[in-house]
Amino acid sequence: MEKQPVIQIKNLTKIYRDFWGRKKVRALNSLSLEVKKGEVFGLLGPNGSGKTTTMKLLLGLLFPTEGEINVLGKPASDVSKNEWIGYLPEESYLYRFLNAEETLDFYGRLFDMSAQQRKERANQLIEKVGLQNARKRQLKEYSKGMTRRIGLAQALINDPDLVLLDEPTSGLDPLGSRDMKDLIVKLRDEGKSVVMCSHLLADVQDVCDRIAILYAGELKELGSVEDLLKEQHETELLTSKLSPEAVIDIEAVLAKHNAKLLRHGHPTNSLEDLFLKTVQKSQERPGQRYVPTGSEKT
Amino acid sequence: MIEQLTAQQRKVAYLIGIVVLMVPIILLGMPATDEASSGGQLARLRQTHDLGESSLGKVDPTSATMNLVLLGMRGIAVNLLRMELDTQKDRKQWAQMRATTESVILLQPHYIQVWRYLGWNLAYNVSAEWDAVEDRYFWVKEGAKFLMQGAEKNRRHPEVYWETGRTLGQKIGRADEWKHFRKFFKIDPDKDRYPNGPDSDINPEGKDNYLVAKEWYQKANDAEEQHEQHIMMRALFRSYPARSQLDYAEALQKEGLFDETTRNAWSLAYKDWVEGFGKMVFQEDDFEIYLEADAKDVDQIADTSKVDRPLVERAIDIHQKVSNYKFWRTKAHAEMQVNTQGVHRELYEAEQLFKKGDLEASQEALDSGLKRYELMLETYPDLGMDDNTLEEGLWAVMLWQKIYQLKNQIQPEEFPLKAIWEREAGRIPNIQQDFNRKFGPSS
Amino acid sequence: MTFDHAPFLFGPALLHWVLVFGCFAGIVFSVSVLIALGVYGASGPTAVMGRVWQGLHDFLGISPRRIWAISLLTIKEAVRRKALFVFVVFASLVMFAGWFLESDLRADLQVKNAVSFALTTISWLTLPVVLLLSCWGLPEDIRLRSIHTIVTKPVRRNEIVMGRILGFSIVASLIVSMMGVVGYVWIRRQVPNNAELICRVPVYGELSFLDREGNLTDKGVNTGDIWEFRSYVEGGTRSSAVYKFPMDKVTDNVRFESRFEAFRTHKGRIGQSLLVRYVLVNPTKGLRVPLGSFEVAEFGLNEKDVDRQISFFDEDKNDNRTVDLFDDVVDQNTLTVEVQCLDAGQYLGMARPDMFIRMPDRSFVVGYFKAVVGVLLLSIFLISIGVTSSTFVKGPVSILLTFTVLLVGQGFREFMLKLITGEQKGGGPIESWYRLITHMNDTLQLPDNFGVKLMQSIDNLFMGGLWLVQHLIPDLSYFVMSPYVANGFDVPWSTAMAKCIAMTVGYLVPCLLVGYYSLTLRELEAK
Repeated sequence: MEKQPVIQIKNLTKIYRDFWGRKKVRALNSLSLEVKKGEVFGLLGPNGSGKTTTMKLLLGLLFPTEGEINVLGKPASDVSKNEWIGYLPEESYLYRFLNAEETLDFYGRLFDMSAQQRKERANQLIEKVGLQNARKRQLKEYSKGMTRRIGLAQALINDPDLVLLDEPTSGLDPLGSRDMKDLIVKLRDEGKSVVMCSHLLADVQDVCDRIAILYAGELKELGSVEDLLKEQHETELLTSKLSPEAVIDIEAVLAKHNAKLLRHGHPTNSLEDLFLKTVQKSQERPGQRYVPTGSEKT
Repeated sequence: MIEQLTAQQRKVAYLIGIVVLMVPIILLGMPATDEASSGGQLARLRQTHDLGESSLGKVDPTSATMNLVLLGMRGIAVNLLRMELDTQKDRKQWAQMRATTESVILLQPHYIQVWRYLGWNLAYNVSAEWDAVEDRYFWVKEGAKFLMQGAEKNRRHPEVYWETGRTLGQKIGRADEWKHFRKFFKIDPDKDRYPNGPDSDINPEGKDNYLVAKEWYQKANDAEEQHEQHIMMRALFRSYPARSQLDYAEALQKEGLFDETTRNAWSLAYKDWVEGFGKMVFQEDDFEIYLEADAKDVDQIADTSKVDRPLVERAIDIHQKVSNYKFWRTKAHAEMQVNTQGVHRELYEAEQLFKKGDLEASQEALDSGLKRYELMLETYPDLGMDDNTLEEGLWAVMLWQKIYQLKNQIQPEEFPLKAIWEREAGRIPNIQQDFNRKFGPSS
Repeated sequence: MTFDHAPFLFGPALLHWVLVFGCFAGIVFSVSVLIALGVYGASGPTAVMGRVWQGLHDFLGISPRRIWAISLLTIKEAVRRKALFVFVVFASLVMFAGWFLESDLRADLQVKNAVSFALTTISWLTLPVVLLLSCWGLPEDIRLRSIHTIVTKPVRRNEIVMGRILGFSIVASLIVSMMGVVGYVWIRRQVPNNAELICRVPVYGELSFLDREGNLTDKGVNTGDIWEFRSYVEGGTRSSAVYKFPMDKVTDNVRFESRFEAFRTHKGRIGQSLLVRYVLVNPTKGLRVPLGSFEVAEFGLNEKDVDRQISFFDEDKNDNRTVDLFDDVVDQNTLTVEVQCLDAGQYLGMARPDMFIRMPDRSFVVGYFKAVVGVLLLSIFLISIGVTSSTFVKGPVSILLTFTVLLVGQGFREFMLKLITGEQKGGGPIESWYRLITHMNDTLQLPDNFGVKLMQSIDNLFMGGLWLVQHLIPDLSYFVMSPYVANGFDVPWSTAMAKCIAMTVGYLVPCLLVGYYSLTLRELEAK
């Protein structure tokens, strides 16, 4: 099934300027990518690589210096698209003097929801994120994890089609992290598109269908997690435990096919390797960018 | 290494720094207690040079706070207030102007000229703007009260005391409305607040305005012994308490009171003048003089100070002339006599009889009074120089002439005071005008 | 106390507003188009048009529920930041104020002081709180990025501005009305037994003069007063002041109140004030009805009651007559009163607001709470300015800006006008410095050379800026209605209330626009 793009980014460049309009930082450089409907898309990159900038550009919080952004078929500056978007900021910048219920009620009002709807939705979400015991406490008394949870709840208040999560698991303990990831998967299962950015690789690997790796504002890798982790020039065999004789036999077979056994043992390749490799490569040879091939364009 | 100090070490360092800085602050700035030579360096300097707030007079905590709050901006604030004061004066917003006056003084509580000017402004300028005499009197009182407040806050300075005396004495006693003002001073027109009595703020004992003024002049003199005044020559300045007593006696007479009270007032005035003011010592370059010094006294001064006699005489003469000493001595002496009071009474009664229409009795009183008047001038020729005395005489002659006119008789060629009438011809038109305004023009 | 009371004319005011607003909008639009053309080329103007279209769209599509949500949030924020604490300060101030207000004053002055104190305290306590809150709210939102959670919802940026203004206005209303009620109770208790709280409803007339020969002029004699507010009529001549009062209701009696000024050219009768007489005139019928004379109470109040049936001695007919005030004297709904001074050689001064017909009094509560509403309106005005300015500058700058508007609007407009018109000597800023440094008196002519010309042309630029500021910042003293109430007058609708409401709305509209565009056109990042 061909999936519709919910986000289209074309040649997006963002340059931060100082007070006098002088160029200060090139935060994004000619970024192009698409996010398809119903997928969990991960933006990956070290701190300062442009993940959050991308996200804010998508939301219209920042204005692009060049390029085009299309979110749910509308330009990023169009406020009406926000009806179907949920956003969890990097840190939950919520109003600390409100309690959980008031917070959700407030954001519900912003979606023009009726009192009845707001109440139902708030109860539902408080349960979903597990804050039943803290619903009447002011947010300033919340722990970091609880703040993330209520942040997620407010992002979902409008039952959005597209959810943008900025570092969703930061500050969460492993258990909370697990919950969050489960939630994301659940969102995908509900048919929602999710864009998340993170520098926590395990999270991305666990939940993302596709990822983009950004470094210094440039797109370095893009693809499905499996594809990216697959070494195209290598083939991995997974067998039951082999005896040394069997290994020798296999080597012989390989030699016949002009190949050789590089290593045998347990497969260890992971996103972490890829990530580190990408970063290393970028540092060695800056300026090399990921260019989408024809096959990528779907 | 400074960067490697721990938080605790840093705190200790700050503490030491604070203590070190405290030492000079305490040494310099510690406030003084009641004991002499207590307190820090600054406090002691203040004491030696008599500059402390509390030594200047009553300290107003609001005022001190205001000046503290304004930091160095007092001058600007005062300028703005003074501009506002002028606008309010132009726009005749008297109540607001009064409040602004208070604000100005709150910022400059020890500026003598500011007190003097603002007080004068209230008592003279603002009062003149009002039409009703009661209102005018109210503003004169406001000025006086303001000045009293100023005197209280600047006890060392004689000027504000003197200014208060002047407002209570001369402003009330010599204004066009003096008759009303002097009455109001004893029985305030604001019956609601001061039922049948004086305004207790300025006249708690219900005295005559000149007597209250005398007290303030006396305070000015007391302060003047410690602290030089810059208003006028010293001999003149110091004559004011006694002068106020003279004014008092004269005012009684003007109001038609010729009994014991008036004579007592005059005799006290004479005493004040001769024994008080006359014995006051004034410092000349190398010697001391007093005004009541006779020839023997002058010799003594010349001997003890080893200066030439004419020098002493001249100094005394100058002082006497400045204060019109001899004239007032004569005048007081004359007026304290039973006979003189009789003259005044007879002439005054003649006028009262005239007003009642009893021309015969009036004429009789005039004849007798004028004769006695002539005698009085013979006894005290100096009185022939006194405006008030002369006016009294000339006025009586006019009345005498008027009676002849009314009776359609030709007035005799010779009449008492003819010599003076002719000598003082220059004064007659003015007095005649007043006379005509009162009794109608002569036909 | 008299009130200069040019009535507020809604039509011309609206027209003026539309003109100014239109011109400003036009200038801003054209400049934007030109800049866009320069920077982005041909696509620039289209983009500007798009923005305008978008703005229109956003203003038409506002949602009351979203605005209310933001208002509610604002109110909660203010309340939880203990803004209402100011009320405690007020309560304690008021509790002890009685100790410091002079109690040995004349009763009416005590009333005046108490009323002024209450109303002044209300505004002095409310305005700083309102100023801080409104200037701090948005920048703090932006700094903490809480605003990110709002603008990523379908919230229009104008809704944020509106919601903020509305929310702070409600907070201000809360504070002001609580203080107002407490203040009122306090005044009631503070008023001495022998005084009462009055709320006069004056009807003012038109004033013209007759000179000593009886010819109509529009000004009387100037007796040398620096303040040319009042004109004088000469006593003992035909000179008089002619007041024409509108009269459309028939009542049993009419009360005239006046405050005239006396000017004496000679001492006259000491102990007696100048004599004044009113003559009621019906010019059509040629009827002249002299009323009994009275002594003028200078800087005080002259009260004169006139019954509907007036008996008087008609000098023309040499007979006693009785006329009916409304049937005989009032002519075409106008009551004409000539004011004369009876003392020859003395002068009586008056201005238009010096004499009025006192209609039945309103309850003091009405006047008092009108003045409280005045404080509220000023608060809303400041909130509009504060919120708007905080959309493009940071909190402290916004506070400074709003405070400056308050300060200049309250007290410096006249001074600025003097500077602009050149009435204040000494030239512009550079010239003033030059004169200061060179100790050059302001009456001395400057030399005629290039340097001076350059200096003056730069000064003229400054003056132009000052002109703009002077015209942009409104006269905020209108909002201060306590003088009316303190002096026992009702706050007039047309000359005070309507003016202030119009001013508040008149500034609110452009504020919303400016706020909207500056929030829309800026990246909401704290930098």
